[in-house]
Amino acid sequence: MKEIILKTDNLTKKYKNFIALDNVNIEIRKGDIYGIIGRNGAGKTTLMKIITTLASKTDGEFYLFNHKDTDLKETKRRIGSLIETPAFFPNLNAYDNLKYYSIQKGIIDKEQINEALKLVGLNDIKKKCFKNFSLGMKQRLGIAFAILDNPDFIILDEPINGLDPIGISDLRETFKKLNEERNITILISSHILSELYVLATRFGIIEKGKVIKELSKEELDSECSKCISIRTDDVKKVAIVLEKELNTTNYKVIDNEEIKLYDYLEQSQKVNKLLVQKDINIKQIRETGISLEDYFKSLIKEEH
Amino acid sequence: MINIMKSDLYRILKGKVIYIVLLVVIFVSILNSMLMQAGNVGISFEKDIDNLNDVSNLKEYRDLVKEVERFELDKDILGHNINLYYLFIIIVAIILTTDFSNKSIKNTLSSAITKKEYYFSKLFLILAISTILVFFNNYLNYFMNLIINGKKFASPLGEIIKITVIQLPLLYGIISLLTCFAFILRRTSLFNTISIPFIVLIQLLAEGGINLFKIKADWFYDYELQFALEKLANSPTNQYIITCMILAIVYIMIFNIIGYISFKKAEIN
Repeated sequence: MKEIILKTDNLTKKYKNFIALDNVNIEIRKGDIYGIIGRNGAGKTTLMKIITTLASKTDGEFYLFNHKDTDLKETKRRIGSLIETPAFFPNLNAYDNLKYYSIQKGIIDKEQINEALKLVGLNDIKKKCFKNFSLGMKQRLGIAFAILDNPDFIILDEPINGLDPIGISDLRETFKKLNEERNITILISSHILSELYVLATRFGIIEKGKVIKELSKEELDSECSKCISIRTDDVKKVAIVLEKELNTTNYKVIDNEEIKLYDYLEQSQKVNKLLVQKDINIKQIRETGISLEDYFKSLIKEEH
Repeated sequence: MINIMKSDLYRILKGKVIYIVLLVVIFVSILNSMLMQAGNVGISFEKDIDNLNDVSNLKEYRDLVKEVERFELDKDILGHNINLYYLFIIIVAIILTTDFSNKSIKNTLSSAITKKEYYFSKLFLILAISTILVFFNNYLNYFMNLIINGKKFASPLGEIIKITVIQLPLLYGIISLLTCFAFILRRTSLFNTISIPFIVLIQLLAEGGINLFKIKADWFYDYELQFALEKLANSPTNQYIITCMILAIVYIMIFNIIGYISFKKAEIN
């Protein structure tokens, strides 16, 4: 079992008349790229702010690297973060801004600054003042800051906001590289579902401060991908027929009444006919599969 | 904590403001010595010299002032050290409030240190740089006066050292007040709006109240910050020095407790 990097236990944040986080329970393990999906104001940033101690919790608790939230002094050094818009000193250039934080973090090897700038593609303009940066450049510098100290866990709040498509693609590769080569665990939020989908390995869907669904990439694929959904009162028998008669194991038993077939997508009638011939009672058979957006919308609707 | 202070020092020395502050101190020091008068903010009591308005140039002005009985200009200047209040505002702004206004404080708090360490590292750096500024200001004024006006208008160096040391606690009280403002207001513009007129406003309100209600307020003229700093520069009694020290400690404690609690409870946006 992989080490737990972050675990929240009924984490709650209340303002006067508003519940920003409502008993949130999530678990992020080493090597995960955990994507938090939610609408604006759903609670993504609040969750990240509490984890990075920028905001206080009202109730519940969380553990970072197995340290309780009341004892995070040592573990903070293992975190890199970019919360909301990147904020730096406008009159300092990119290199000096990072040098400021490298001194603060006690980083002796100043080559790490160049390495971080190179990784986000800012090395050529490292002497440019932050105040003259475009939004995309600011985002990149924020990410360079987050990875500056070779952290074990990086928390990125909507990091691709303001980036052009090539910039988004470059950063996606950077995140994947950091995750695969350095085994850095990433918590990343976005409301751009398609972008999170190609990056994250696990997902948490948050709405009105509640995590309404947590699922892995495979589970999300399974929920969204095109398939033939067969509702029957004998899924076992259906599975046998699929394997023996149609020579496929590309199916998934959802529950006692539903089985999803990912082959023969254009031939649902043929499948139906075959199952009926085998004397199986079919309650419903239909082609299904929804886009990420539709899936997200359906979850939100369920919540309402 | 040392790292935070080192990083802030790096940032401040990279900027222009600290050098401008030093240039202002040098400029004011030259001006004080040339005009043979301490610059003043707040309630002022000017030297009363006959015919001072009749002079047509600086040389005539200086000759006229020099004819007046011997006075220790450097002590007079140090007595007006309340002027440093405005330089302290700049120091607090460049070390602390810019961090809030730029929101760069989020970077520090989210991945480096706790709020407690942040508070004290900022406070100590503000105190350290302000102390250097006080020493620089006091000794520069001493030497500038010595060079421009000669020994007749200068005090012994030991006297200047003594004044510097006994004024420091009250100056730390003022710095603590400004730091408290900064941690409560957390925005440079708001901090400047409140802190710049504050000291004069308090004096005016107090004076107005005393005059309006005919209050016997010797304590005000003894222990109000401007008067206290002036008295400390003019051969104070030991009893007075001790009272001022106690007052300074009370200021330092109260303002820092308020500032720290306010910051500790604050959400960082």
